[in-house]
Amino acid sequence: MTTLALPTPRLVGADILKLRRNRSLAAVTGVLTVGAVAITITVMEVLHVANSTKHGPAGGVQNLGHVAFLIAMLGTAAAAIVGSRAGAGDKDAGVYRDLVVTGRSRVSLYLSRIPGGLAFLLPFVAAAYALEAVSAVALAGSKPVPDTRLLALTGLWTVLEVTFFYLLSVAVAALLGSRSYAIGVVLAFRLAITPIVASISALGIVRELMPGVAMESLTPAGLGNAARQGSHIAMSTGAVAAVLIVWSVAAVVLAGWRDTTRDA
Amino acid sequence: MTPTSISPYVVETAGLTKRFGERTVVRDVELRVPRGAAFGYLGPNGAGKTTLIRMLLGLTPATAGEMRLLGLPVPERRADALAHVGAIVEEPRFHGHLSGRENLRVVAAARDRAAFDRIDGSLEQVGLAARAGDRVKTYSLGMRQRLGIARCLLADPELLILDEPMNGLDPAGIQEFRSFVRDFVAEGRTIVLSSHLLDEVEKTCDHVAIVDGGTIVAQGSIAELRGDGHVVFVEVDDTTRARRVLAENAAVERVVDDGEVLAVSILDPRAVPDLNRRLVEAGVAVNRLDLQRASLEQRFLEITTRLENAA
Repeated sequence: MTTLALPTPRLVGADILKLRRNRSLAAVTGVLTVGAVAITITVMEVLHVANSTKHGPAGGVQNLGHVAFLIAMLGTAAAAIVGSRAGAGDKDAGVYRDLVVTGRSRVSLYLSRIPGGLAFLLPFVAAAYALEAVSAVALAGSKPVPDTRLLALTGLWTVLEVTFFYLLSVAVAALLGSRSYAIGVVLAFRLAITPIVASISALGIVRELMPGVAMESLTPAGLGNAARQGSHIAMSTGAVAAVLIVWSVAAVVLAGWRDTTRDA
Repeated sequence: MTPTSISPYVVETAGLTKRFGERTVVRDVELRVPRGAAFGYLGPNGAGKTTLIRMLLGLTPATAGEMRLLGLPVPERRADALAHVGAIVEEPRFHGHLSGRENLRVVAAARDRAAFDRIDGSLEQVGLAARAGDRVKTYSLGMRQRLGIARCLLADPELLILDEPMNGLDPAGIQEFRSFVRDFVAEGRTIVLSSHLLDEVEKTCDHVAIVDGGTIVAQGSIAELRGDGHVVFVEVDDTTRARRVLAENAAVERVVDDGEVLAVSILDPRAVPDLNRRLVEAGVAVNRLDLQRASLEQRFLEITTRLENAA
């Protein structure tokens, strides 16, 4: 048997199995994605039906933006939970050393968590977004209906946001070797530190180094400010790509190095 | 099972050392585990047994020294060597939310394709087939130990390294485990069993290394380590005269007098009738002559006591 750095499909399948069979993880992920969207749309539609003069319909472009933002934020929370489980679950269970003594390369064991976790997480995010996309069109009423291009761009943006923070969560969990710390760090970074840094205008261009700021500048223009949190910082597509790629590569490489060199 | 090497030893180390800061946990270990042996790695808690195993398996790097597993240098050819090794380090751990079978699938995925085909057979072999679909969090400690062995068998291992495998097993489980070891070794495979339980090692293994303070203080076959010596407990009416008589006998190695009973170390148990006759001829009344084979425990205590005294 030779040492393979790339994860095999069987190894990825094993990572999916570990996540899929965890009922509480599946339940929490479902609530944070599909559940949150279903509740939000239902509440908006009930309010509209109850008092259509005060509350608009649950669909339309603006509500697409609001709910897409909700999916991105709660999807980030789900990404932190799933990513930390994928990144540190074997260590927490004490199984990591049993995988290492198979002779399989540690790089391969580490890298398999990335597609494995995404294969578990993204169907939830996709289902949540699909629900919202259908509602945005079907329940638009008198409001502007989002076109196909806007729906596709918004969906891609949502998936990109969740995927990025999943990668970051796997890396932080592997670096820290702890699920709970990783969840706390990633959520604090995305939901607290990023908005605070973004609001400090004195920091100037430094703010653009924050991946959350770069991600928000990718928000489809057709959504206006509906899918944004606080002030908008305009960035070029190249700058956004550079920030996200550097963060992703740095996080994965650093965590991979740590994961493969520490005592198992 | 595909043998990886024609080396007579499946584990060889030279000058193997592990330090944590200023503390040396494993010191200049020269270990040789013969192929096809049931090898006991014996020592008190904290003697460095688990650290040595962890180094062999690539879980922690050695500070100095060389290692060969199945004739292959590690860590250089670690993957090739470990493909034919099964191991349980410390207590066997699992994903509690997965079933026994699913836990084996997770590890089989990290091995070659054939490991998947061995899952059911491994579960059968350790008697867990009926509970294989249950979540591991519902398993007893003994069942987890057995599942740990099933996980090792996925490798179709030439070498099995088990760290304190008897922990949590009930008497029936221990009997089954001994039988498993015998069958495993009978197939020409090797088992290394790390333990602090001298009695169990003596009953299960044919070779042993005794480790203390991170250093191997003795190694060889159990018969060699016991020295094939015997002890005769002699109860007489006059211990002073009896000691004098025994000291003149060439078969006697040593006589220890505890005041009432003499513990007489002899090389050949066939000398006992002659000892009895000479004592009687010298006018010593012999109340009791009790021949016992020296146990590994006695040898272990002798060795470690000698080391403590030397220190």
